[in-house]
Amino acid sequence: MLSLYRIIKFSLQDIGRNIWLSVATLIILLLALFSVNTLMTVRVISDNAAKAVQEKIDISLYIKPETPESEILALKAEISKSERVKSIVYISKEEALNDFREKYKNNQAVLAALKELGRNPLSPSLTIIPQDFSQANLLINELRVIDSKMIESRDFSDNAVVLNKINNISKRINEIGFFIILIFVLTSLLVVYNTVRVAIYTHRQEIEIMRLVGASNFFIYMPYIFSAFVYTLLSILIIIGIFYPFLTLLQPYLEVFFMGYNVNILSYFIDNFWLVFGGQFLVILAINAFASLFAVRRYAKV
Amino acid sequence: MITIKNGSKAYSNRVKILNDVNLDIDPGEFVSIVGQSGAGKTTLVKVLIGEERLDSGQVIVGDWDITKISKREVPYLRRQIGVIFQDFKLLPKKTLAENVAFALEVCGSSAAKINKIVPSVMKIVGLEDKKNRYPNEVSGGEKQRAAIARALVHQPKILLADEPTGNLDAINANEIIDLLLRINKFGTTVILVTHNKEIVNYLSRRVVTMDHGKIISDHEKGKYLL
Repeated sequence: MLSLYRIIKFSLQDIGRNIWLSVATLIILLLALFSVNTLMTVRVISDNAAKAVQEKIDISLYIKPETPESEILALKAEISKSERVKSIVYISKEEALNDFREKYKNNQAVLAALKELGRNPLSPSLTIIPQDFSQANLLINELRVIDSKMIESRDFSDNAVVLNKINNISKRINEIGFFIILIFVLTSLLVVYNTVRVAIYTHRQEIEIMRLVGASNFFIYMPYIFSAFVYTLLSILIIIGIFYPFLTLLQPYLEVFFMGYNVNILSYFIDNFWLVFGGQFLVILAINAFASLFAVRRYAKV
Repeated sequence: MITIKNGSKAYSNRVKILNDVNLDIDPGEFVSIVGQSGAGKTTLVKVLIGEERLDSGQVIVGDWDITKISKREVPYLRRQIGVIFQDFKLLPKKTLAENVAFALEVCGSSAAKINKIVPSVMKIVGLEDKKNRYPNEVSGGEKQRAAIARALVHQPKILLADEPTGNLDAINANEIIDLLLRINKFGTTVILVTHNKEIVNYLSRRVVTMDHGKIISDHEKGKYLL
């Protein structure tokens, strides 16, 4: 207990008495963390944006207008058996007409033409959402071979092309994003590692004296390991304090930019709080402690 | 107290920095080890505190054969041998009293023991009124006295002084030597490594002279010969 108290005392005393060095170390840690988190934000946004666009692409089967609803519902039930289908929505003629009117409520010419027609020209449809958008092409192939006379139209060629493009872009973004984050993480870790080594270099005299007056290895190493823990904890707490307001400010801009799509970066960081910041805490602590051990060992060879 | 038998040490295969050294120091002795730079004096000190190991030969401190001392045992050896250096080796961010207490704290001594020992050693070296000053606020002589106080906290039977007056003027140097003599009177074996002729001649105690890693003379009431 006495040893633990002294280790904490030496560590905190050292941080306090070398305040500028401590602040510099902390700033380096914060910059590294902020860079990594910003890159992660960009990756999450691009990933979410790609997913949001994918979800906007539905696959629709248009049914002949005179088909009885019971037969349409039977077809719906049959299609929904496929494991590639996430959900399927039946849109009746009336619903289609209401949607059409709502969509063109500001376009009087279209509405007038519809009125002139005197009847509902729209067909009922089945809107299908794939389970996995990367495999939507397989679902389209399945739908193409359904042999049913009630189907009026099943031209999916545009959707297939768009889905293909989005899947490719999404895959590229993921690959490039992962590569950039990896480089950034490695760079940050190297910077942090060297910062800690420089900080301990300034303590080489203290380490030498500890050895000369008969301090055990435990007493020589532990204050620096504890300092590493303090720096890591402080940097993570500060980055959380900085990053959440930053995300809160960013979110309205994202909502405007991705209007109509569900891109919520704030909720991503809240849902994955422990994974993101807990993981960062463990990685930074490990690199800090490793750098401290390595540097102290070098100067403790007296 | 200290015995070195046929001690040899080389940093490279060509030059032997200690060459077949044989030395016996009795408890309570005051021994000056003299010699020019490169004679092997500092290496001898390093061997005695476990910082260096002999290539061949044997070193015994007290009843402890430290010839092949393990890294784990080194801290325990150093608690039994007080050491002071030319450059004082005080921590600049700690007060003189904190520097002295530090040697006890890092060895796990209780607060009560520290509170008892630190003021008494500060009094022995005459620094009780400057205990709260930082090293940069005191003279070289006072820094060395604080270093001696730190060396004394473990009540060592041996005090090794490696060029303790090297950075001091004549007045401060004499004060430090007088302090070492006083400590020796209490029964502590003092080994003074120096190349200060005046001090060695003034002491008129045992003088061991080294040259090129060998002991070339050993006189009971010796003079500086080189």
